[in-house]
Amino acid sequence: MSVKLPMPDLPELNPVVHGKLRLALLSLLVGVEEAEFTWLRAKTGSTDGNLGAQLLKLEEAGYVTVEKKFVNRKPQTIYRITEAGRHSLAEYVRAIKQLLGSAMDA
Amino acid sequence: MTEPLKSQELQDRFSLIENMIAEGRRTTESWGWTFVFWGVAYLVAMAWSSWGPKAFLAWPVTMIAATLLMCAMIAAQRRRKTEKQPDTTLGRAIFSVWVATGMAMWLLLLFLSMSGRFDWHVFIAVVSALLGLANAASSLILKWNIQFGCAVFWWAAMAAACFGSDRIAVAALVVTIFVCQIVFGVYCMVLEAREREATHA
Repeated sequence: MSVKLPMPDLPELNPVVHGKLRLALLSLLVGVEEAEFTWLRAKTGSTDGNLGAQLLKLEEAGYVTVEKKFVNRKPQTIYRITEAGRHSLAEYVRAIKQLLGSAMDA
Repeated sequence: MTEPLKSQELQDRFSLIENMIAEGRRTTESWGWTFVFWGVAYLVAMAWSSWGPKAFLAWPVTMIAATLLMCAMIAAQRRRKTEKQPDTTLGRAIFSVWVATGMAMWLLLLFLSMSGRFDWHVFIAVVSALLGLANAASSLILKWNIQFGCAVFWWAAMAAACFGSDRIAVAALVVTIFVCQIVFGVYCMVLEAREREATHA
């Protein structure tokens, strides 16, 4: 007689965080207090258009905040991760670990 | 959406997170020179107070000049940079330790000079204790054993100032400044140069 073990509930991955560039941006922002658009562009090697679009999605999800200001008459766009962003990234990491664990078990 | 994800893809995402967090924390700031700079400033002040004219002015004048010069150099360094390095919590923690130490040393020197109770043994002991504390705190934050070695060196100088003769106290201070400021500072500068090369490679 075989006993059927119940499958553990596998977590869903947050689609907003899962996007590769968005995931990279959240991971970069989680380690710093704030970052300029140009720094994020240099670190991710992304184009202005794509980076702007992905940051907008993160902003709409409430995961980052944006501040535009002028420093020495030059425009600066500063991004910061929010508590919701931190929480979502932590949840995402937890979910990935769980999925990787279940993949290894299988 | 999790079903079609392969183990390799999950692993890639996990690596991406780790790499980006490390990248965000990687700093291209250079601080090694400040150790050398202050080491030289201390030695200049000591030499002036021992052999120069108006010895009572040696420490206040050298320290004020060194502080102003360092602020100007840091401002110039920041202006030259085209891409601003973001602040990290780690960086701010270390910066706080050193700024607080600097302020405590400043006030100590000022009040000892003003009160006329300046005593070489007390001065060396307290300054060595403070610099040992700053190095130890910084090394514990960074998990950097070599810097903890500097802290131990400073505390040994503190012990020498407490128990040794005048000559031993001053000799211990000079040796410690040389090792923990100049040699350690040059070592930091070499590490920073290597890090910069690796970043630009």
